Amino acid sequence: MKPTIHDNNPSYAEATGIKWLVYEMVDHLWPWSKEGWRHHKAIQTAGLALAVAATVAWGLAASGKLGASAVIGWWLGWSIYEIVIRLQCKPYIKDGPWWGHHYRPAGRMDMICYVMFKNLLIGAVLFIVLRNLGLLQMVN
Amino acid sequence: MVLIRRYFIFALCFSVSVLGFSVAALADSEKSTDHAVQEHHPSEGHPGSYEAPLPVELSTNPDLCAYVPCHDVFPNADYFSPRKGRPSYVEAYRNKKHGQLENGHHEDADSRELIGYAFLSTDIVDIPAYSGKPVVTLMGMDVTGKIVGVKVLRHSEPILLVGIPEGELTKFIKQFVGKYAWDKLEIGKARAEGGYIGIDAISGATVTVISENQVVMRCAYEIAKQVGIIKAVPRPQAKFTSVLAQYSWDALLAEGSIQHLMVSPSDVGMNNTGKPYIDLYFGYLNAPAIGRSILGERNYDGLMAELKPNEHAIFIIANGAASFKGSGFVRGGIYDRIQVSQDMDSFTFRDTDYRNLYSIKATGAPEFSESAIFIIRSTSYSAAYPWSLVFLGNKMDKQTGTKTFANFDREYWLQGRYLEGGRPVVVKAEPVWLKIWKSRIWQIVAFTAILIFTAVIYANRDWLVRRSSRKDKRWVSIPKYAIWLASIGFIGFGLMAQPSITQVLTWFHSMLFQWKWELFLSDPFIFIFWLFIIISVFVWGRGLFCGWMCPFGSLSELFYKIAGKIGLKRFQFTPNSVLHERLKWLKYGIFWGLLAVSFFSMGLAEKLAEIEPFKTTFLVGLFNRSWPYTLFTASLLGLSLFTERPFCKYLCPLGAALAMPTTFRWFGLKRKQECTTCSACAAGCGSLAIDKQGVIDHRECMLCLDCMILYYDDHACPPLSKERKLRVKSGLPLTPINAAGYYIPIYPVPLKGTDE
Repeated sequence: MKPTIHDNNPSYAEATGIKWLVYEMVDHLWPWSKEGWRHHKAIQTAGLALAVAATVAWGLAASGKLGASAVIGWWLGWSIYEIVIRLQCKPYIKDGPWWGHHYRPAGRMDMICYVMFKNLLIGAVLFIVLRNLGLLQMVN
Repeated sequence: MVLIRRYFIFALCFSVSVLGFSVAALADSEKSTDHAVQEHHPSEGHPGSYEAPLPVELSTNPDLCAYVPCHDVFPNADYFSPRKGRPSYVEAYRNKKHGQLENGHHEDADSRELIGYAFLSTDIVDIPAYSGKPVVTLMGMDVTGKIVGVKVLRHSEPILLVGIPEGELTKFIKQFVGKYAWDKLEIGKARAEGGYIGIDAISGATVTVISENQVVMRCAYEIAKQVGIIKAVPRPQAKFTSVLAQYSWDALLAEGSIQHLMVSPSDVGMNNTGKPYIDLYFGYLNAPAIGRSILGERNYDGLMAELKPNEHAIFIIANGAASFKGSGFVRGGIYDRIQVSQDMDSFTFRDTDYRNLYSIKATGAPEFSESAIFIIRSTSYSAAYPWSLVFLGNKMDKQTGTKTFANFDREYWLQGRYLEGGRPVVVKAEPVWLKIWKSRIWQIVAFTAILIFTAVIYANRDWLVRRSSRKDKRWVSIPKYAIWLASIGFIGFGLMAQPSITQVLTWFHSMLFQWKWELFLSDPFIFIFWLFIIISVFVWGRGLFCGWMCPFGSLSELFYKIAGKIGLKRFQFTPNSVLHERLKWLKYGIFWGLLAVSFFSMGLAEKLAEIEPFKTTFLVGLFNRSWPYTLFTASLLGLSLFTERPFCKYLCPLGAALAMPTTFRWFGLKRKQECTTCSACAAGCGSLAIDKQGVIDHRECMLCLDCMILYYDDHACPPLSKERKLRVKSGLPLTPINAAGYYIPIYPVPLKGTDE
C-alpha cells in the first residue's frame, strides 16, 4: 500500500518547544487527518466505530467483565485499523532521535512497527496504571 | 543459479521441518508420558517431571503417601502414617519383625520402629523457581536429621524441558542425600568461613538450583525442628522502656507498631469480587505503650498478669472473605491459617493459645469481623528482633484445580523507643540474586568490559571506516572479529549468556501480570546483556547486537567467512532479492505467533521457541540433545557455510522482536544523493538490507559497515571515484572527504584588487 495523501513531513515539523511536543503527542494518539477524512470516509467511519468499541472494551476490562484474550483481540484489531488509517492519513514516521524534527515517508513495515510498538507501550502503561489503581480486575 | 535457489529453499524448508518434527516428537513423548501417568502411580509412570500432573488431593488428603511415592525416599519403610503436624509431615516406620499379614494389613504400632519422616515441599515452603512456580519435591529424613531421599515430583522449569537433560536435576538433588537438616549448603565452591558445604550447580540453571537448595534445606530444618531433632535456641528477650503514653490507631499504624497485610482473591487464584480475600491488622501487645493503647489499661494488665515469663501476646483483627482462624478453630485443633516466623523459626497456635479480643480501645480503629489474641510460648521468640506474621493460603490453579501452598507475610519489628537500648543490630541475609552477582563478579566485569568495548568501537565507526577501504577492511574487521570470538567463546560457551526470545516473552508476561526484579536479576549476564541490547537498539538499531554481539549470529557468520577462505566460496550464494523479500517476513510471523501462543500457554510457547538453536548450541551442546534438535542446529550451521546468516535473516524471532524498535533508532547509516541510482553498496551488502532505491532497511541491517567503508572510499564509491578522477584530470587537489561523503568543495578565492 502506497501513501496516498502526502509523503512529506507533517505540518508541525517546523514548530518548536512545547507546541511541537503537544503536536507530537496528539499525532501519536490521533491517527486521522482532515485530508484523510475527505478521501476515505468509509474507513474513517469504521474507525470511529472501532474507537468507540475500543473505549467500551477498556471500560469492560477495567470493571473485570472482559477476559485477557478479548483485550488482546481488540488491541490487535485496533492496531491493524490504525496501521491502515495512518498509511492513508499520516504516512510518515520519525527518522532519527525522538527529539529531532526529521520525518520520513513510512513504508508498510515502518508503519506496522510504529503502530504496534506505540500501542504496546500505551497499552502497557494503561494496564499498569489501572492495575495499580486497583481498577483492573481481570488479571489473576 | 536455479539449482542454487532450489537448494537454498530446500535447505531452509528442511531446517524448519526438522524443527517441526522435533517439537511434534516432543509433544508425542509428552502425550505418551501423560498416558503412562493415568495408568500408573506417579512414581512409576512419569519419567519426566516437567509439568507432571499431580493429584488434586495431594495438598489436602491426610494419606500423603497414597498420592506420592514415599517409598522412593524411604525404600526400607513398611508403613507411613497419615499427615501430622503443622507444617505437615508423615512418619516412616519399619516393621521390627518382617511379618506383613497376608491380607495386606500391617502389624500393630508396637511392632514398628520409627525410622524417619517424609514430607512434601509445598506443604512447608512457598519458594518459586525460575518459572515462577515451585519445584514440588518429596523428601525423606531419618530420625537423626539426615536427609535420606529427595525426589522431584513436578517442576515447570523450561530449561529442564528443552535445554538441560532432566537427569542433571536428578544428579543435583542426589547431593542432598547424606546432608543434615542443619547443614549450611551453598551452590558452587563453599566459602571457607562459616562452615558452608559446597554442592555442584547445574550449568545454565543457576536460579533453579539455588531455589531448590533453599527448598530442601528449609523444609528439612522446619520438620527437624518440629519433631524435636533440632532443639529450640533461646533468643535474648526484649526489655521494654517505660513509655506509657497511649496512642491512636493511626499513630500506631504510622510508626509501624501495627502492621497491615492484605491478600486479594487473585493472589489465591480466585476471581476478584472487589472484596479482599483477607485484610488483617496485627501488632505486638507486651510493649506497654502498644498493649495499653490497643486493649485499654485494665485488659492489658489482666493479660500481662496471665502471661508467664517468655510468653508473648499479639493481636489480629481482620475483614474479608476468608477467616484467619481457618478450619482449625475447633477445640484441640491448630490454627492452620496463621503463624509467626522469626528467622528460621516458626510458631503455630493451638486453641489454648487463643484469647478473645472483643474491642480495640485505640481511637480510630477500623471495624472488623474477626479478632483474636494469640500467645507465643517459646524462648526462641524475641520481640526485640524482626518477626513476621504469616497467612497460609492455598493457591488454586484454575486450569487444573490443583492447590499449591502459598504464604503471605508482613514483617513486624518493635520500634526502638519501646526497647531498652533500642533495636539490636540485625544482619539480614543477602538476597539470592546478590549472592549470584557477588560470586561471579570478575566474569561480570569482563563481560561488561566487552560490551563497553563494542559500544565504544561502534561509536567510533566513522574513524574506523575512513581508515579502511574496500580492499583493506582491517580497521573494522579486526575489532569485529575479536568481538565475535569473545562472543562465541566467552559469552556463548563460557557464560551461556545467549539472549533468547523466551526472555522477551517472559518480559511481556511479567510486565502485564507480575513484575519480579529478582527473577531478572538472578541471571546477571542476561540482565546486563538486555540493558545493552535495549540501549543499543534505540541508539543504533538491532545490528549492533545481531551483527556484532549475538553468539549464535557471530558463529553463523564466522562459519560463512571461514568456508569462503577454505575454498567453498564457489559454492556460496546469495538468495535473489525477490526470494529474500518474501522470506524475511517469516521471522516476524514466527515472533508474533510465539507471542500470541504465549498468552494462551507459556509452556507451548517455550517449546515452539526451540526454533532458536541457541540452547542446543551453547547451553546443552550439540551432541547432548536428542537427534532432531542436533540435526536442526547442524542444518542451520551447515547452511551458514554457503549463505550468510540464514537463521538471522529469515527465522530468528529475537531478531524480529529487535527489528521492530529498530524503526526508531536514533542514528542510522549515511547515504548520499547518488545512492538512489547507484547500487554499488547494495551489490556488496551481505545483509541484503539495501533496496534498489539505495535505501537501507535498518531492521535488516547487521551494521557490518561495508557500505560505510565504501561511502568514504574514493576508489570504490562511484560518485566519489568519479569526482576524484575529474579532480586529478583537472589538476585540482584531493581535499579531505567531509561527513556527507564528498571531497570538501574548492571555491576560488577572488584575487585582491580583482573588483578594481
